[in-house]
Amino acid sequence: MQGVVKRYGNAVALDYVDLAIYEGEIVGLLGPNGAGKTTLIQTMTGMVPIERGTIKLFGQSNNPFTHANKEKLGLVTQEITVYDELTAKENLQFFAGVYGLKGSERKERVQEALAFVGLAEYADKVPTKFSGGMKRRLNIACALTHRPKLLIMDEPTVGIDPQSRNHILESVKKLQEQGTTILYTTHYMEEVQEIASRVVIMDQGQMIKGGTVDQLIQSIQHEERIHIDVADTSLLPVEQLQSIAGVMHVDVAGTRVTVISTAGSGNVDRILSLVKEYTGVLGIQTENPDLEDVFLTLTGKQLRDGGGEA
Amino acid sequence: MTVFRFVFLRSFRNTTNLIFLTLFPLVCIFMPQGDPWPVLPYGYQLFGVFLLFVSIRLASYIQVDRMSGVVKRLSIAPLSHASYLSQHLLAYLLIIMLQCVILVYGGVLYGQPLIQPFLLLILYISYSLAALAIALAWITLFRNKELAFFGFMSFVFLVSVLGGIIVPVSMFPEWLARIAVLFPTYWLAEGQLWIVYGNELGDFLFVNVVLWLYALVFMIIGSTRKLR
Repeated sequence: MQGVVKRYGNAVALDYVDLAIYEGEIVGLLGPNGAGKTTLIQTMTGMVPIERGTIKLFGQSNNPFTHANKEKLGLVTQEITVYDELTAKENLQFFAGVYGLKGSERKERVQEALAFVGLAEYADKVPTKFSGGMKRRLNIACALTHRPKLLIMDEPTVGIDPQSRNHILESVKKLQEQGTTILYTTHYMEEVQEIASRVVIMDQGQMIKGGTVDQLIQSIQHEERIHIDVADTSLLPVEQLQSIAGVMHVDVAGTRVTVISTAGSGNVDRILSLVKEYTGVLGIQTENPDLEDVFLTLTGKQLRDGGGEA
Repeated sequence: MTVFRFVFLRSFRNTTNLIFLTLFPLVCIFMPQGDPWPVLPYGYQLFGVFLLFVSIRLASYIQVDRMSGVVKRLSIAPLSHASYLSQHLLAYLLIIMLQCVILVYGGVLYGQPLIQPFLLLILYISYSLAALAIALAWITLFRNKELAFFGFMSFVFLVSVLGGIIVPVSMFPEWLARIAVLFPTYWLAEGQLWIVYGNELGDFLFVNVVLWLYALVFMIIGSTRKLR
């Protein structure tokens, strides 16, 4: 997609967004709630029309949402979109049928998808009897029976246990090995770090930065992160800390203040002295940046900050 | 026709639905004849109210699809909105037609004085089309299934009373009788009157055409609002 703009009333959900996804990669789309991730998915799948820009799907930019192209697309929705009245197998049969699969081919694909997500034993059970993680896995399986070339996964691990999450992440990696291209949106940094070939950071409807995890971290290597545990955070001179030359971000959470500053600026001493003037220091720790720091540096906020999804 | 097939499966998988869809027409068959009104046995009058409830109950599956996000998933599949909707409506219509057949020919077997059973069946089918279309249009107004259902109950009560199914229109003051023609239930009652007393086939056809027009108008309203 190139130069894509989408507005809802006066709110700009996508602001001249450019995004390219190449065959065989897993693109991790990171962004806080309200960043525009869901709108991005809706526009790139043709669910909602765009106001400006172009969308090219499987090399086709003029009317990209043809039936033939739709057959190559798969969507794992953020909500669990399966039928409660139907068994796991019937749910898969339904979605496979919608994609035109019939007879023995459909039967095979349904069994394959059930086995892939580890639900073969539960084929004849209805989703109401499933745990949250099993429902999520069924939700994924429903998007796999037609073997999509491009699979879009919209926060597929929201609200599930670590075991199911691991299972899903392993499945995603296996799908990539089988040749599926995946767009994986999430606000869990660690998931992206684990599976994505490339990461794209999005905020307030804009693409902020893209690259591999290493490239992104490298881009902020000139920064250092200082964590200081203090006796009373309410006494902290946050504004004064922010005004120190080289300090890019100050974040207070619980009893800890985190300061991101230019590396080698000698700010650690200055920051520590200033904090000590106002409150007791219980501990100090500096660390190398990770993806979380990249996000914080680029957007000025934590990935899991609140706000409604655009 | 995957959607069509699975609509059937979903409709009859739910036990409450199953009872609702099969038991009530059977009960209606055995209801007695009123004297001097209604012109057909009570069950055949009440069936008009019942069909409205069945319609909203069935149409609510479309609403559930919208609320749960299934429609979103389907919207990126190679399935057009028109195909999705028409397969749903066709399945619903067949379910309702089956109920009408059970009611009418069950009544014939039981010995109810239905005068012209085949034309009565035609009338019920025309009315079912209108009821389904109204239910489809109704659910597009709401994002909440329960709210839509309870709102529809009030609507059903209104059209049943004012449309001459519960109280004969002849008892209404003139101004209210004029309003009654706006409701599909009025045309069902008119059609039933014709079944018993009418002789001009054109009059019966007119009643059916009015019901088809209801169906057409509400079908357009209900289908142009995409359920996303």
